[in-house]
Amino acid sequence: MKRAPAAVFSAMPLAAIFLALPLAAHVGSPDVFYEGEAGPYHLLVTIRPPQVIPGVAQIEIRSSSRDVRQVRIVPLRLTGPGALNAPVPDVAQRSTDDPQFYTGSLWLMNTGAWQVWVQVDGPQGPGTLSVPVPAAATRVLPMQKSLAAILVVLGLVLFIGLVSIIGAASREAQLEPGVKPDLQHVRRSRIAMGATAVVLLGALWLGRMWWNSEADGYLGKIYKPLELKATVEDGSRLALRLNDPGWLNRRTDDLLPDHGHLMHLYVIRIPAMDLVWHLHPARTGDDTFAQPLPSMPAGRYALYGDVVHENGFSETAVGEIEVAAISGKPLQGDDAGGAAAPLVKADYNSVVAPLSEGYRMIWERGPMPYRARQPYEFRFRVQDSQGRPAEGMELYMGMQGHAAFVRTDRSVFAHTHPSGSVPMAALGLIADSNPHAGHNMMHGEPPAVVSFPYGFPKPGDYRIFVQVKRAGKVETGIFDARVEN
Amino acid sequence: MATSYASSAPASVGVVPASRLPWYVWCSVAAVTSAMIGVLWDISWHQSIGRDTFWTPAHLAIQFCGVLAGISCGFLILNTTFAQESPLRAASVRIWGFRGPLGAFIAAWGGITMLTSAPFDNWWHAAYGLDVKILSPPHMILAAGMIAVQVGALVLILGYMNRASGQQKARLRALFLYVGGMILVALTTVSLELTSRVFMHSAHFYRVVATFAPLVLVAVGRASRFKWGATAAAATYMLFVMAMDWILPLFPAVPKLGPVLYPVTHFVPSGFPMLLIVPAFALDLLRQRTAKWGAWSQSLDSGVVFLGTFAAVQWPFGSFLMSPAARNWFFSTIYFGYNTNPLGLYARYQFVAPETAAVFWRETALALLLSVLLIRLALACGDRLQRIQR
Repeated sequence: MKRAPAAVFSAMPLAAIFLALPLAAHVGSPDVFYEGEAGPYHLLVTIRPPQVIPGVAQIEIRSSSRDVRQVRIVPLRLTGPGALNAPVPDVAQRSTDDPQFYTGSLWLMNTGAWQVWVQVDGPQGPGTLSVPVPAAATRVLPMQKSLAAILVVLGLVLFIGLVSIIGAASREAQLEPGVKPDLQHVRRSRIAMGATAVVLLGALWLGRMWWNSEADGYLGKIYKPLELKATVEDGSRLALRLNDPGWLNRRTDDLLPDHGHLMHLYVIRIPAMDLVWHLHPARTGDDTFAQPLPSMPAGRYALYGDVVHENGFSETAVGEIEVAAISGKPLQGDDAGGAAAPLVKADYNSVVAPLSEGYRMIWERGPMPYRARQPYEFRFRVQDSQGRPAEGMELYMGMQGHAAFVRTDRSVFAHTHPSGSVPMAALGLIADSNPHAGHNMMHGEPPAVVSFPYGFPKPGDYRIFVQVKRAGKVETGIFDARVEN
Repeated sequence: MATSYASSAPASVGVVPASRLPWYVWCSVAAVTSAMIGVLWDISWHQSIGRDTFWTPAHLAIQFCGVLAGISCGFLILNTTFAQESPLRAASVRIWGFRGPLGAFIAAWGGITMLTSAPFDNWWHAAYGLDVKILSPPHMILAAGMIAVQVGALVLILGYMNRASGQQKARLRALFLYVGGMILVALTTVSLELTSRVFMHSAHFYRVVATFAPLVLVAVGRASRFKWGATAAAATYMLFVMAMDWILPLFPAVPKLGPVLYPVTHFVPSGFPMLLIVPAFALDLLRQRTAKWGAWSQSLDSGVVFLGTFAAVQWPFGSFLMSPAARNWFFSTIYFGYNTNPLGLYARYQFVAPETAAVFWRETALALLLSVLLIRLALACGDRLQRIQR
């Protein structure tokens, strides 16, 4: 926690304590990736939210069209009065190296659900794309030692300087010009200097209390993720409760359905990460949910529950549960599961994941290594046993596919779609938006290839769970990726 | 018993040239003016445009104060220290081996304090996010620096004024009262978030004003030796703020930050000044009639008169500011910042809920106590300021 030091200036380095927490949407993966259409222009938008609020979000836009004349960006609240009036847009800067790449920065002034309008102009006319962004303070930045040293020195100079000025004022300021101070004036000056030092120390002490109060107030605004308290009832019924550890005025009874479900729950066996289920618990109370479990081996499981609040703010509730072997019910509806080799046997070069009935999923990854904080398009192809594009592909909850990127130490979890990491429920809140925004509206059978825009937030080893639907069955392909800095 | 300098006091020691005022007096007055224009402009900027950089005109006006005060006073101190023939040498104080007028040291200290606040404020924004408010620790360090520059200018002028005579003394007194008014502008600006019109029917509002206004009005009035000194300082404050209120909305401005809760097309001013001229006039009148009283008696009477007259005019004036009659450019209640909640009390011309009787009387008693004690302190300061020679 960042608090004012004992002497406001003299101990600043001690006050610089780093604090970082996962951001709201997803876990440890704050950047927003969204691929969509701004009128006739196809864009991939990356938004890197600030770590402090108010703070500056970095915006990156790649256009697939070469004929874009200008890109402008502007932030608005996602809902409420702040969504009605837009400030003056900023013109995004076109890269000199890549004329289809634009960058800009925008202030997000308070915590909550925002949207960034991307306004594109070109010969095909204007077009606008809105991208929801959750904004929450996640850390207190430390003070650099060099800055602390400078401030300490300046503080000492100012302290001693003011004491000296008061001393001089008492000693000489009231004397006629040319008159030297006598012993009485000198003595009076020393008393005044001592009194000034005491008063200044008192002021510094009050300043320290104020600083501590401000720091405590700020810490109260730092995002605290929802907790998922889980128990198994009646042998195979998972009972969940959303527990708010206390963050601003968050509620747990205001959730919006996303793809028709209030919660998308990933259950992953740990530490092996060899079993995964994508479930959809039903609400049983204001903050309670229940889910019939499939048959599961005994073990410890990580829980990631994605929810979207009515103001469009999305977050992932996190929990763990230890279960005995469960003899459960077959998966139903949109619930799905998959299996892979445990992490200790992970093959970071493999691009093939077996599916049912001899089908397989191919990860079309290039030869270049993945690097952190770079946006990529993760492309997966579904083939039959003969290597032909799979037939019978279907939409899975309105999308061509769902993917979860999980760091093997579980510090990162991100649930994404072909349109990106934006929850569809948040997209649906955008004024005048297409109610099916982000969903696949194609007619006929979807192609046997699906792609996801995403960027790994930090280096390390990741497991990727990709789910598509074919012939009425949800298939899960599981891959491993090593990410460099 | 003080003794005279044997060697370094030339025959002309302490004699102020009657022809014109020295350049550094004008520099200090310019610095003070620049800072106050910059501060009110900057607050308006944050209400109207929102986004800023170090290089906005308002910021430059503020920093110009620190730079001008620092350079002019630094030069004055160095010149007085090293130029043996400097006429100021004998009329100076000595600090760390340097010599110069006391006001120059105070203003230079203020300039360094202002500059110190800049990296601290920058770090504060990086650590805790941009603080969209006036009352934050780094902002208060900046305010302390600015007020020190103002006090330095005040003392610099006073040293000259107390050694001058005739027309020059009158001109210096006018500048002294002007700077005193600027100190009121600075302190009312610092307390702006606590003195909005929505608080004008709360005793806490009067307690906040009592923490600075009587001190400045009485100290400046007494030190000036002018019978209407407090009135002149209060009038300066009111005219300056009113002028800014009327000038700023003449210029276009649109929000560059969201959320935009209230459409803005022009610079939004900070609001009509408090009617401090009334208690100031009452204090001046009282001072003329109680000059021979004891200090504590004067303080007690002046404290009661200050609080009574201020509340008597500001309370109904608060009601007037909430009324449709005040919704015009003159009283500035038609302007709202882009982030003003349209459903909030300010936009709906409503006062905050009344305090409970216990809180009201506690705050009123504190306001009275502060008024009396600070006026007693102001009398002591005023007496000492009257004797400032250097």
